[in-house]
Amino acid sequence: MNEQSKDEIIQQCKKETKIYYIDGGRFFSPKMRGINSLEVGKSKIISSPLNILIEWVYFQYTRIRSLFKRLNNWLFPRRPEIVGSIKDAYLTGSLVFPSRYPPAKPIANMPVALWARTKLFGWRKLAEGYTNESGVFKLEFDLREAVSWKNQRKLIFEVHEISRIQFNEKQPYRQFSVFHSQKFPKSDLTGMGYTLREISLGYWNYRTDTTIPRAKLNDDDGDPIQSYSQGREDAMIEQIIPIELTKLKHLEQIELDPDSISIQSIQADYPINLTQCLEKHLPGYSRSDEWFGDRMMNGMNCGTFVKDPNEEGVFIMKYFGICDYDHNDIYALPDVIIRYRLNEKGIPIPFKITTIGALNSLNRDPWQTRDFTPADGDMLWMAAKRIARMTGSLYVEVDQHFTGTHINVEQYAIAAYRNFRRSPLAILMLPHMQEVALINGGADKLIIEGFLPEATAIKASGLLKRTKDVLGMLDWKGWKPMEPISDAHHYARGEKLFMSVIDEFVDKFFTENIDEIIIHWDEVYRFSCDLIEHSVPVFLSDKSLDTMPENLRNQYKERYEYYKAQFGFDDSVKRDSLNGELKTVSRITTKQAITAKDTEDIENLKNACKYAIMQATYMHTWINENQYDELGEVLYSNGGLRFGDKESGVLVPENDLTVAPTPEIATKQLWFANFLSRTEYGFIVSNEDKDVHPDFRNALLSKKEEFLALDIDVNAIESRTNI
Amino acid sequence: MDLYYPAHKNKLIALFDLCVLWLYSRFFALLIALFLSFPKRNRMSHDNGIAGTGKARILKNPLIPENDFFVPGREFPLRVRQATATFLDDAVNDIRAISIKFSDHHFDSPFDMELNTGETSLFWNAASFMQFAKLREEAHAVCYVENIRNYPEGASGAIVSLRRAPDSFAHLKYYSQVVYLFKGKDGVQRFAKYRVVPFVDVQEPGLQVDPCEYELSNQRVAPHESKGRNYLKYEFEERVKREGVKYKLQIQLITAEKNQNPEVFNNMVLWDEKTSPWLDLAELEISNTLDWSESIITTFSVNNMPKDMGIIPAKSIYDYNSLNYFRAHSEIARKARLLSLKIFGMVKPIPDNDNRNSEVWGA
Repeated sequence: MNEQSKDEIIQQCKKETKIYYIDGGRFFSPKMRGINSLEVGKSKIISSPLNILIEWVYFQYTRIRSLFKRLNNWLFPRRPEIVGSIKDAYLTGSLVFPSRYPPAKPIANMPVALWARTKLFGWRKLAEGYTNESGVFKLEFDLREAVSWKNQRKLIFEVHEISRIQFNEKQPYRQFSVFHSQKFPKSDLTGMGYTLREISLGYWNYRTDTTIPRAKLNDDDGDPIQSYSQGREDAMIEQIIPIELTKLKHLEQIELDPDSISIQSIQADYPINLTQCLEKHLPGYSRSDEWFGDRMMNGMNCGTFVKDPNEEGVFIMKYFGICDYDHNDIYALPDVIIRYRLNEKGIPIPFKITTIGALNSLNRDPWQTRDFTPADGDMLWMAAKRIARMTGSLYVEVDQHFTGTHINVEQYAIAAYRNFRRSPLAILMLPHMQEVALINGGADKLIIEGFLPEATAIKASGLLKRTKDVLGMLDWKGWKPMEPISDAHHYARGEKLFMSVIDEFVDKFFTENIDEIIIHWDEVYRFSCDLIEHSVPVFLSDKSLDTMPENLRNQYKERYEYYKAQFGFDDSVKRDSLNGELKTVSRITTKQAITAKDTEDIENLKNACKYAIMQATYMHTWINENQYDELGEVLYSNGGLRFGDKESGVLVPENDLTVAPTPEIATKQLWFANFLSRTEYGFIVSNEDKDVHPDFRNALLSKKEEFLALDIDVNAIESRTNI
Repeated sequence: MDLYYPAHKNKLIALFDLCVLWLYSRFFALLIALFLSFPKRNRMSHDNGIAGTGKARILKNPLIPENDFFVPGREFPLRVRQATATFLDDAVNDIRAISIKFSDHHFDSPFDMELNTGETSLFWNAASFMQFAKLREEAHAVCYVENIRNYPEGASGAIVSLRRAPDSFAHLKYYSQVVYLFKGKDGVQRFAKYRVVPFVDVQEPGLQVDPCEYELSNQRVAPHESKGRNYLKYEFEERVKREGVKYKLQIQLITAEKNQNPEVFNNMVLWDEKTSPWLDLAELEISNTLDWSESIITTFSVNNMPKDMGIIPAKSIYDYNSLNYFRAHSEIARKARLLSLKIFGMVKPIPDNDNRNSEVWGA
């Protein structure tokens, strides 16, 4: 078969395995309430006809309620005019983030308002304003209007937040919603001041149960900080239900009649993925060296190739396994070092795979090293590649996907939501930062504490520690897109191209909005401070290498050097130290106010924004989009091969199911891969929620053909990390 | 055009406001008379005090417009009463007061003036005063917690007006805080504030330096305080006997304007001393102290004022001048107490015992 027809088959398979759900379901089709109903095991699916009927009735009730709400808003609009002519009294107080130790941090520039409702339910705005840099608000109002007999007994103080940024043609506008409200009797007003004192708001607060910068979502108590857009919820529910039903069927079967189910039958119940499709049309190709190299370069792994300093033309790729993290003894997870040479098409062809760590249950020495080459024979070489895919998959999912994009973006999202309000940066950043904290909250439960500890070698506590370590190598300063190693390196070329789109968009945005950005520079200052204060320490900066055993010390050093290359971490940059910790995220500015002459500060800000947007969009989309291609066939790749009890351990052919994932893990893996890759929503081009800046969308569309030449569909790039 | 606090634009509402003010003031005075003054023989406040007598001599000051009452060189018999506002314990952290009367009679006088420590007060109109009274909730000399929490000016007023265990009444400065009318022979309408300061300037004792915000409501005697329950009255008595006490009565004036900014009447807003300096008005000399009974029956009223120097008309309970309106309409309470004293006899003096931080008589 010639190269052209091979490429055609690959393209055909890519198209074939892209799943679209067009079946909206029927009345009695199973339903699901929302993303929070998902479970690694049995999600809360509503399938009984009676429950569906009750659900329908409830849905109608909520519709009517929302209709009444709209009617209420129409009948009693909140008019923007402020009533009253003199300002002879004022309402004061301060908004702060909750804090265990005073003084609490102020919430600055937060919109606040004072309202009265008339006895006939009309709204009367008495005052509005913003909190100052100390979080203090002072709303001056007409006392007589506030205590007027027309008003109901209590007045309403409201704190507003930017719930969405939306674009009307090209004009952006901030959509506000009430984040917090509290009532107080109008009879308390006697002229002069009345203070609501310090109001502690759980507004984008940092979690205190972890040292990683994570948002406290207030799901159970307080005012929730964010919710998914309705479109996002609908898209997910619509697409996940068929897959969820498949998983439920498998779990029931495993429970009731385990002999009736096999890996093959499980696999057959899920939609066909790329490698299975290839096997159908090009038997053996999906396990070939070329496909291995191509996927490591342009697949989900989008791995980092480091030139071998000792051998010309050789590239090294590393995946680190269990390291010294808490782990179980069920699964193998050695470190893997893969050596490649480029073929004539520029695709890296592996010629040597080195594993460091246990490969069977009999010899647990974590530092045992084995080299594999094609000369070892098909079975061993194939097994070595499978081990590399396994360690690679977990490494990519935990280090690059979860930490590199999800958690990394969340730290920018928290700081952005806490601080950007009046600055145009709210318009630039918030559309790309929304929903990441929500999905990460879900990922904690489903993935970090759910699936991964069950299906891979690393325990939940180990995963959390690893997340913190990797986050300690992620900084905006000095970051650059990956350099392609050949023309066939589509991922890296795409990354550079996408970065040029972001450059164009952000630069233009800054040019158009620089005056306003400078006016509200205090928000940038606080954004920068929040980032630094909550940043994790630089990887290894808090560890004493000298006291470690030599092997571990060397592994740490090796990881540090490789992460530097992979995550573009520049350790020559001067970073802040806080409470004895060398902080990973670099300072954007030291100034609370600047002028246009402070170009270094402005450039820093630009670069930080570009970095955060890049991670939230292209970097996340790439891995997420390609998960089903890699992990959609359990025997091809998975997160954990079991040691088994034989001396051969994991060095066995694929058809030896004693080391393969169990049926239960298999169905969960396929469910996950489907769920993550196939329920995307919030694309830059389709702009479902009208929240993508037109300049960004246009800049991307203008390079559509260039992306297409790299086999990248611009329509599939998401504007935010929300899955 | 209004020289005073502006009435509501709607005449009906303005009338309603006046009615509410009248009703509130009457009702409040009646409540005090019925539940405090008559049955308990208490004042509304300032029960813990000592009276003295002497003379007041009007000083010559060309900056004070000529008027029929404050004629330079004129002398009046003087009766004063120095008091602690709330508690029957001199060592607490409390407002201290001086009330002056240009006569040696316990009731009648051509000029009465009630002054408290602090340039500003804890309330600024009748509405805020009612709220202040409502939120007292005293327990063991901790009080006004909610009032201080809810009203920033209430808190700042507490800071500037409370004096913790000062060494002497004679070393404190007292302010009328509220504004009075003042019309001289030139016919120009002016407004006046009064204060009484020691004749020889001394460092004012008992000031709160950098007070803890959430301790403002705590008026209790400080831990390990060695001063007795009546020490301030004894000190005053002995000081008068030994050397007499001499004060200056000062006045601050501002000329009325058409469309007057109502903030002029706000007792929480200080007048600019550059444009309205404090002017020496009279010299007060106290040479004798009165006994407990006489101190108890000596009363003061804002209604005892010369023509053209009385209280400013008020328009509503939110009008800053409504404070004096309330005072002026509390005569019934004043009279009820005196009547009760006649019928039921004199209240007992405050004993020198260890019942500290108390506001209860007879213990």
